[in-house]
Order: sequence, then C-alpha cells, then structure tokens
Amino acid sequence: MISQKGIVLEKLLSGHFICETTDEDSYRFLKTSAGRMEVEAHLAVLNRQLTHAAEEQVFFASYQTIGETERVKLGKQFEDVSNHLLPLIEWLLLVQESLNNDLSLSQGMNLRLNELQTIIEDTPAYAEQLNKISRYALFGSKAAELDAQLKLVFKRLVELGYLIKPNQDKQIYTVTGKIDYLFDVLKFIDETEQLSLAKKAEDAMSQSDLI
Amino acid sequence: MNYNLKKAGSSLLNALSNHSELVMEAYFSGSINEADYTPKVINNLLDLKVIWRPENERQLRLRPALRTLLEESLQDENNRQIDANIGSSLVSIKTQAEHYKEALNAGRFKEAESMLSDVTERVYSLTDMLATNVRLLWSRISNEFGYVATVDAKIRENELAQSQVSELLNQLSMFQFDQLSDISGSHRELRHLLVVTLQSSFAHCTQELSLAQAKLIDLLGRFREFKGRTRLLKGFVLHLEQNPSFAPQNYSTMSNVPALFNVAENTIAAAAIDVNNVEQEQSLLEVMSNIKHVNRQRDTRTNLNNASPLTMQDENAIELQESLLKSEVDAFFCAVIDSGTNQTALDYYKAKNLDFDPEVWLYQVIGGFHGLPEQDKSYFALETRGVPDPVFSGNFVITDIEIGLQ
Repeated sequence: MISQKGIVLEKLLSGHFICETTDEDSYRFLKTSAGRMEVEAHLAVLNRQLTHAAEEQVFFASYQTIGETERVKLGKQFEDVSNHLLPLIEWLLLVQESLNNDLSLSQGMNLRLNELQTIIEDTPAYAEQLNKISRYALFGSKAAELDAQLKLVFKRLVELGYLIKPNQDKQIYTVTGKIDYLFDVLKFIDETEQLSLAKKAEDAMSQSDLI
Repeated sequence: MNYNLKKAGSSLLNALSNHSELVMEAYFSGSINEADYTPKVINNLLDLKVIWRPENERQLRLRPALRTLLEESLQDENNRQIDANIGSSLVSIKTQAEHYKEALNAGRFKEAESMLSDVTERVYSLTDMLATNVRLLWSRISNEFGYVATVDAKIRENELAQSQVSELLNQLSMFQFDQLSDISGSHRELRHLLVVTLQSSFAHCTQELSLAQAKLIDLLGRFREFKGRTRLLKGFVLHLEQNPSFAPQNYSTMSNVPALFNVAENTIAAAAIDVNNVEQEQSLLEVMSNIKHVNRQRDTRTNLNNASPLTMQDENAIELQESLLKSEVDAFFCAVIDSGTNQTALDYYKAKNLDFDPEVWLYQVIGGFHGLPEQDKSYFALETRGVPDPVFSGNFVITDIEIGLQ
C-alpha cells in the first residue's frame, strides 16, 4: 500500500494543488510540520519545494532554483494564467451575481448546476454573458444551447482543478482552494501593476448609485 | 393555592388553544385583521391580555411576552433580540433573598417558603435567560446571518451582535459573588441557588461569549474579505474594459520570481503495467475485462530505419545445445524406422550413451513426436510407460516411452 507521504508526493509532482476540499488527508498531512519536512526532503531531490498560498489553504510544488529551462516553462505557464484570468473572473462574477448572495466563491462552497442553470436561463443578460464566457479559448465552446455551454464550462473548470465533483451522479460541484489561489494572483497583479482595482470598482458602483 | 388565579390561568390557556389560528396569524403577520373575527373573540382576547392595541386607530398586535414565548419555543430565527437586563434581575434576586432571610429569622416559615420559591424561580429564569441569549448568538453565527441577503447587511448584523456580546459581558461583570455569598450566609438552600447555580451558569456563559466574540470577529473579517474580493473582480473587469490591451508583465522574467507564479511542472506520468507481477494478475485481469474494445490492428509499416542489415554469420557459432538434443531425437526416430521394431527411449539413451538428463531426453522425445508433421506422425505410435502416482491419484508418472511403427 502507498503511504500518505507517497500520495502527497505524487499529487505534488503531478502539478496538483492540495487543499482541504480536494484531498483532506493529504492536506492534514501537510499541515503538520513533520509531514512538511518529510515531503520537502523528497522534493528537494527534484529541484522542487513546497509552497503554500491563500493563507496556507493550498499547497503546491514550486522550483527551488530557477535556471533557464525552468524560466521558459514558468514563462509559458504565466502566459496561460494571464490568458485565463479574464474568462475565469467573468465566470466568477456571473455565478456570484446569478446566485445573488453577494458572496464571492471560495473553497468549500457548493454549486448546484441545475439551480444555476434555471437562473441563467430565466435572465437573458446572464445567458448572454454565459454565451460570451463559453466562447473564450479557455472554454472553447461552439455550442449554441445554454445547457451545453454551461456543462462545458463546468467540465473545463473541473479539468483545471478549480472545481471538483464529489458525486459523479449528481450535478453538484465544490469549489477548491485553487480559486483562492486565483484571488491571490489577482491581488498580486493589482498590487504590482498598481491598478487599485478595488477603488475603481467602488467609484463605478457609487456612480451608478447616483444615477 | 389561589383558586381564582388557577381558574383564570386555565381559561387563558384554553382561549389560546381555541384561538390558536388567530394567535399564529398575529405572530407571522405582525397584526390581526379585525374584520376576520367576531368582536366577541377580539374582546375576550383583549381582556385576557393576549393581544393589545398599541395606539388608537392602530391594528391589534400580539403581546410582546407571548411573542417571546412563541419565538423561544419554536426556536424561530426571527427572534433576534437579546434581552440583556441582568442587572435588574440580580437586584431583585438579592432583595427577595433578604426577604427570605428576614422571614426565616422572624420564624414565619410559611412565608419564608414562598419567598424561597420566588428566589428559585428568579435564579432559574436568569440562568435560562443567559443560556437563551448565548444560544441565540450561536444560532446567528452558525448560519452566518443567513437571514439577510447582502454582505453589507451581514456586516451590520455582525456589528450589532458584537455590541450585544460586549453589552452582555459588561452586564455579567455585575455578578459579585462575594456579595451574593455574604447574602446567602449560612443558609444552605440560598447558598446553593445564589452561589453554586449562578456561578456555574456565569462561568458557562462567559466562556461561550468569549468564544462567540472571537468567532464574530472572524466572521466579520471574512465578510469584509468577500466584499474586497467582489470589488477586486469587478475592478478587474472594469479595468480591462477601459484598457483592452492590458496584460500584466511576465513575472517569470523577474530575477526573483514571486512564489505565486513559481509552480513546478508535473513530472510524474502514470506507471506502466508489469505483466510479470503475479500479485497484480487479478486486478490487471479486471482492468482487461473492462476494456470494451481491444484494437488489435497491427502497424503494417516496418520501420526501415531500425531494421539492421541482414548479414550471414557463422551458423555453428550460435547453434544451441537444444539443436543437439533435437538431432539426437531425429536420429532416434530414424533408428526406429531402420530397425522396424519397437524401441523405448531409455534403451536407446543407454545404447547411445547420451549425456543429457534422462528426463529432458524423454520430454524431447515426446515433444519431437508431437512436433512431427501430421502425415509423418501417422507412421509412428507412441506409448507411455509408467505408474500411477502412489500419493496423488489421477497423476500418471511416465518412466519411459516406447516408439514403434504403425
């Protein structure tokens, strides 16, 4: 039988993000300092180290020293991240607005596909938005029906590790810690590029309030 | 026992049960539509102080005491009020305790008994009130203020709850156990009520409240973060709308790559199947049986690059010992044909002084016989000689083979 350490190592080396939702046992293992040290020792052999994000809610493997080859790979990865950013953010906003609870998604929240579908179907603005989102290269839907678009978007998000489907027979999805990682990325970009996004949003909202 | 009071009490309860629909309507809608009920019923309930009219020309409402009773019994989450008037309860408990002591000292035991029951009632209602308040707080925390929709409202509710917690804590500091202990003196019942019961309730309540306070602050932080996150999302979309060409600079080219963007590539691929591992045979077979379609189409193209040029080499050098054995078997078959008589393999083996293992020799003879072309095989007859295994029935141990011509 494979040990918990083995499971953790395999997940990390396969490029997975480990959080409480995706794999609770592995997450607990990494929360102990002894477990972390053991894993670190193995990762170091492969020029990798354990990194956490979103206030230790997600763990993943990163490069220990970054040489030329690693830099090329990271550069490519970053391109993906920045290309995915807008579709993901629009999707997040769509879900948040259609569920109308003002809560942005974070780890452990459940999304009921049917519930979401009914709301989006009933609101033409949301349906239009979904249509736009599903055409992004990230999702690449060519379907004209809303049902197919929504299913494809969710399927892609599961593939990318942002959602998991705990029960294969039920259309209920759980948000993973990778979403929190995404928010960290967004925060980082906001700070580094000095965009002051929050202020912009607030200004825009107060303007619409005046009207 | 006051007979009149008892009778009035049961008639009040009867009235409540007879007009339960009216009461519940008032509970849910806040007021009663007087046109729906006869004036007699309304007047009866007004007399019993079940409903009241706050002002002239206003609709009838349920009495607050009854409403509180219903909210508590039904554990309705509408019940969001926390009654934190501990000070007055404490004062009245102290006064009653003094009454009780005075009556006891004067020898009025009947009166003292009823005073004690009053004190008991008040102490228990105070502890119950504390417990209810704590329960209310927790029920609000546990559903994360689910009764209001927006995050802003949640934040306001959270702030209200926090102020109530600090109010409760302030009031709890009015418990002065040295005073209570002085009052109870050497009276066993009083001491039990005023010191033991109140103290345990006090300790429980303060502990729960401090936990609730921590949780509330935690929740407030979370709500604020949600708000921040929403703003971040909206801001980003807005920013991209204003500057469609915006792209963050590639952080991986920085000399110090931020930890967030330093995500190692996956290195592990799926392991391959080890067909020689007997332990895994069962599970591999299961996997096999689940394969719906086995594609056996072979690649007909031969890879010319890999084909090595065919060169004739010294054949003898790579001839194996098996071929020696094989040629000896062939010679044995020829000898049978030449002699025209039956021969056993072992006799031939001894006659020729062969140096293989006898068992290998026998196997090779059997193999050689079965390896003959069908046409040639029909010329020969093979008979095995041997004995049944002495231990394992059904097994036949071959000791020799006789070959003859048909």
